[in-house]
Amino acid sequence: MSQLLQQLVLGLLLGGVYVSVALGFSLVWGILNIVNLAHGAFVIIGAYVTWVLFTRLGVDPFLSLPVDAVVLFAVGYGLQRGLINRVIRAPLLFTFLLTFGINLVIVSLLLLIFSPDFRSVTPSYSGSGLSLGAVTIPYIGLARLGVAMLLALLLWFLLNRTRIGAGIQAVGADRDAAQLVGIDLRHVYALTFAIGAAFAGVAGGLIGLQQSITPTAGDPFTLQSFAVVILGGLGRVSATIAGGLLFGLIQVLGLNAPGLGAGYSNAIAFAVLVVVLAFRPQGLLGRLA
Amino acid sequence: MDMKGKLLVTLVASALLATACGGAATTPSPSIGSTLVIGSAISLTGSQAKEGNLAKQGYDLWYDWIKAQGGITVNGVKHPVSLIYEDDQSKPDLSATLLEKLITAEHAQFILGPYGSAATATDAVIAEKDGIPMVEANGAAQAIFSKGYKYTFGVLSPANKYLTGVIDMAATLSPKPTTVAMLSANDNFSVEVAKAVVEYAPSKGMQVVFNKSYPAAAPDVSGLLSQVKPLNPDIILNSGHLAEAIAINKAAKDLNINAKIFAYSVGPSTPDFVDALGKDANFVYDGSQWTPQVKYTPQFYLTVNQYVLAYKTKYTATAAPDYHVAESTAACLALQKAIENAKSLDPGKVRDALASLDVMTFFGELKFDSRGINVFKPMVVEQIQGGVHFTVYPPNVANGQPQYPTPSWSQR
Repeated sequence: MSQLLQQLVLGLLLGGVYVSVALGFSLVWGILNIVNLAHGAFVIIGAYVTWVLFTRLGVDPFLSLPVDAVVLFAVGYGLQRGLINRVIRAPLLFTFLLTFGINLVIVSLLLLIFSPDFRSVTPSYSGSGLSLGAVTIPYIGLARLGVAMLLALLLWFLLNRTRIGAGIQAVGADRDAAQLVGIDLRHVYALTFAIGAAFAGVAGGLIGLQQSITPTAGDPFTLQSFAVVILGGLGRVSATIAGGLLFGLIQVLGLNAPGLGAGYSNAIAFAVLVVVLAFRPQGLLGRLA
Repeated sequence: MDMKGKLLVTLVASALLATACGGAATTPSPSIGSTLVIGSAISLTGSQAKEGNLAKQGYDLWYDWIKAQGGITVNGVKHPVSLIYEDDQSKPDLSATLLEKLITAEHAQFILGPYGSAATATDAVIAEKDGIPMVEANGAAQAIFSKGYKYTFGVLSPANKYLTGVIDMAATLSPKPTTVAMLSANDNFSVEVAKAVVEYAPSKGMQVVFNKSYPAAAPDVSGLLSQVKPLNPDIILNSGHLAEAIAINKAAKDLNINAKIFAYSVGPSTPDFVDALGKDANFVYDGSQWTPQVKYTPQFYLTVNQYVLAYKTKYTATAAPDYHVAESTAACLALQKAIENAKSLDPGKVRDALASLDVMTFFGELKFDSRGINVFKPMVVEQIQGGVHFTVYPPNVANGQPQYPTPSWSQR
């Protein structure tokens, strides 16, 4: 019983990572209709920023999160305004190709700058945890889940309680109508993409605490974000939270279910995805377009 | 006479003088033969770029040396060597395609292996099909060699030896550990490592209380480790690669799991492991193909100390080369020696010379069984002590004692 409880706790903590990674991905997909294949690369840039600040200047990884956000905001804004905006009205395949290319360029640049060495952020408090009977809750995992929830709250507030958010939502709903009422489309596009990238950067800062950072370590996050958004649904912050936590739980339980081999973890996770797509294509909490 | 004329005369005169000196020597200097082309499709980018580049360092160290020698001598004729790389981006199928390109378009006559068991397995098919000898140093899965291939030779100890040395060492320690938890990634190499431990541990009086595999590059291993915790095993073994070794060590600390021995097949031998984990890397053991402390007396090429020095000079490194580098150099040595022994560049004859090769190098004995595996060189056990790697087993090559048992996380 305590064993199952421990698994549930670890599943939710892992889900926190997925939530933080998928928030920006979901925003960009929902508003701009761009499936950003460079999202994982943005995450890893954030991880490297945190790593550099930690190793060179001794900045605590949690304190460097705002820096990650600012750096990635700038990267995202520049990339959208300078490159992606040129194909924003083209068929989906074009943005696919472009973001795929951007991903390759970023990964190669990271390889040149940082070499393929494995980097890791290990602060002094790494590894301590809260013991509740037989269940251990690692502090870092808990803090990561907390930050993920804060991020979700921030995004919700931004979208629903601010003028910028209203503009973003308007563009997402009908870009021509939004332009008619005087919204600067190009600015809002770039802003949305930049916010998505900034969230990816923060997620990256959290990820360096858990796993090794290498130039290619971002690729799985793009796929995972995709799965989380499909699972939860598009267009709502709460959907991303539900999708992320559920995906984390499925992964951990699938990996540790008695009698199941290694291959089943991903198989189960993606089988659930297929079932959701078949019976509830808008996702668990998503809105139909 | 103008300047140009003077220069010409000087040149001709010095050339004549050089020829005269050469002729005066007791042995005639070998004539220069055709350039010998060696190819390798190796992971320079992608998920295994780190290990792939280490392997390339090993190849390049030998390449520099053989260039300085003027080439490989075959029947008194010196053949300069050209070593050509392709980047397989850490994708095994791409490795095979690039190998085909190396052989057909670049006319590679011999092959040095790629990085990793999966890529080596796909490359072996091409080497066999084209009848081109491949000496590999980075694919330890025995599955590669179980298909009856005639042209693939591996200089490294096979996967089943990686962690059994740790079991051997554990059996000599007091209090003797009696329970083992075995975690393993589900790639072909890691599974073989784990299988061998599960079969071997009972013969040393140890019980395997947990044995489970996870997908390679699993997102999170803490769930798996949380199942290990209530079993409280004396030994926790992981068979996987660097990223997973780091993740497991972190998760073990997160969950406050205290074993007497933590040993990981691949990872702790690289400097990255210590950099990533700091003092949490201490006390961790690994099975290693080679360490800079081994005591072998080579028949040719460099001694262990000279090799370490050559590495540090070329790569301006402070740390000694890890075994990925050394084993890759050893593959070059096996190929070189076989070509020399064959007295021919004919691929079939070089292949036969590889099959009958038996030579001692800084890396250990290079000799292959009928499958092409080097079962003659032992594995050694290393432990990280105070951030430094010490060879702790077997005793005849060790330069340190095992620090045992590993203290609990809170007391490190």
